[in-house]
Amino acid sequence: MLNEKTKLMHALSAEQFAAWELHLYLDTHPCDKTAQRMHEKHTARAKELREELEKKYGPLSTKTGEGCDWVKGPWPWEKGE
Amino acid sequence: MWTYEKKLQYPVKIKNPNPAYAKIIMDQYGGPDGELGAALRYLSQRYSMPSDELKGLLTDIGTEELAHFEMIGAMIYQLTRNLSCEEIKKQGFDAYFVTHTNGVYAAAASGMPWTASYIQTKGDALADLHEDLAAEQKARVTYDNILRLIDDPDIIDPIKFLREREIVHYQRFGEGLRLATDALDCKNYYMYNPSFDIMKKNH
Repeated sequence: MLNEKTKLMHALSAEQFAAWELHLYLDTHPCDKTAQRMHEKHTARAKELREELEKKYGPLSTKTGEGCDWVKGPWPWEKGE
Repeated sequence: MWTYEKKLQYPVKIKNPNPAYAKIIMDQYGGPDGELGAALRYLSQRYSMPSDELKGLLTDIGTEELAHFEMIGAMIYQLTRNLSCEEIKKQGFDAYFVTHTNGVYAAAASGMPWTASYIQTKGDALADLHEDLAAEQKARVTYDNILRLIDDPDIIDPIKFLREREIVHYQRFGEGLRLATDALDCKNYYMYNPSFDIMKKNH
């Protein structure tokens, strides 16, 4: 069974992936209003999930943490999430 | 610049180490159609792209390829943990092991180290975008071949994700090529090098 952290991580990855896919689509269709709206929606949801995850389990980027919190493992290739 | 995100683009969780499979997957780490070559190809070609859309597209796809390089690295790492010397010999990992132990090194499945001769920057948007379209197809075929050789569902799942990304990138590059040709003379696309002659005229 997946633990709560893994579930949250998967939910974040799904939202980030949707936002990224739309981001690439918008590179070649920059004026597509529907895609822009969908991108905003997924980006906002990813931001919420990311804040929740970082609050509970530590920083995900160098912008949100340093020192003990940042270097603490497992690192992404180790944890298998 | 880039910032690191302490997570994989798609999860990699492999329960059973298997150095023979690690060697096969390594082709997408440091092989001729692998993720390292893809990232460096697009991130180098972007400087001579003639439009803002194309500069953005190559920057973004090149960046995503770095995340794929990390996923493949994670797979190789997880497949080569806790190995006995017996397993290493039995599974044909000894030739790699004697040089790299179980460190992750950018080489093809054959052991040939990654080389910049796998990639080109032609400095001509049409030539470069055609190379990019071909590169995505070749990577897709490598993933198809990996899927023929591997039966572990823990590996198949992330490999299928990466295979699908090749198809999406191929689609976006096709649109990028259309954007490039739309800006040229449709009676003779090759009258100018859009990355050199037109840019020179404008600056």
